[in-house]
Amino acid sequence: MLKVGQLETELGYTVFTMMEPDATTTDGYTSDLLSDVMGNAAEGSTLITIQAHKNTVAVASLIGMRAIILCNGRTPTEDMVGAAMKEHIAIFGTDESQFTVSYRLAKALGKV
Amino acid sequence: MLPSLLAIEGADMGIDMLALTDHNCGRNLPAFAEACEIVGITGIFGMEVTTLEEVHVLTLFATLEQALSFGEYIESILPKIFNSSRLFGNQFVCSVEGEIIEEAQLFLYGPAQLTFEALIDITLDLDALVIPAHIDRMANSVMANLGFLPDLPYSAVESIAIPPKVDTLDNAVVQGSDAHYIEHIGRRRCFIESDCHGFDALRDAFQRKRISYLGF
Repeated sequence: MLKVGQLETELGYTVFTMMEPDATTTDGYTSDLLSDVMGNAAEGSTLITIQAHKNTVAVASLIGMRAIILCNGRTPTEDMVGAAMKEHIAIFGTDESQFTVSYRLAKALGKV
Repeated sequence: MLPSLLAIEGADMGIDMLALTDHNCGRNLPAFAEACEIVGITGIFGMEVTTLEEVHVLTLFATLEQALSFGEYIESILPKIFNSSRLFGNQFVCSVEGEIIEEAQLFLYGPAQLTFEALIDITLDLDALVIPAHIDRMANSVMANLGFLPDLPYSAVESIAIPPKVDTLDNAVVQGSDAHYIEHIGRRRCFIESDCHGFDALRDAFQRKRISYLGF
């Protein structure tokens, strides 16, 4: 288990919005197809993706995710940040690829 | 957005021909058709279909009946997931007067169980027009989701930027407003030159590439 704030303090990801740094994340899910995320991601996961728009937040909220990490230098649209603030979901950004973020998050969560 | 308001706003903006293409659903088309007739513009009936790869593709039909029947088919192959109106908004079906007749229950943002290529084939078999939507957008487009524009017999492609910044493989290029809100109606549009009217005029203009744009 990790606190959402640790994605910034321990993994060094850039914060676009983070209302609740003490919220916890217990798993990760990596996908760029939102229908796949909806069908397969577990509650409490952090979503690792390049889909930097507001529908990603809606899907994350539906599943009960607390954080989204945008990879490959993607930055969120303004309405994505607005939606995330409303849903209390943190958004982070990084130049790392989904592969690297998945490994680092899995490691931090003690899954590998 | 009420289908009748779309028609009224379009007419007010001087638009002659206007297509309603809801995501994966044709149920608001009858009210839109009626409204277009009342305000005196040519309504075009279609849908913005989401493929299995989550690419958005515009489909336009010669008649309202064909569009409705295709809409039923598309809804029948959507994932059996229900919409969350709090997160994704309401999916109302309205009468021409703006009364709510029903609410579509299935999650209309979900992908139809059809590949991009299969959708192109099926649509062309129905003698409809098929147009990959916003090909230059970083989400739900051929470029974002497939990485390239496959060489298939499209009726046209839709680009947000004019001239397009991506390779359109010499297809006719249209610009559409992709209006999800009333203030977006007509924010992008294009002009066609044709000797005929309505759906046939579109097909004709696409084939002959007789399309021009605001500011060009």
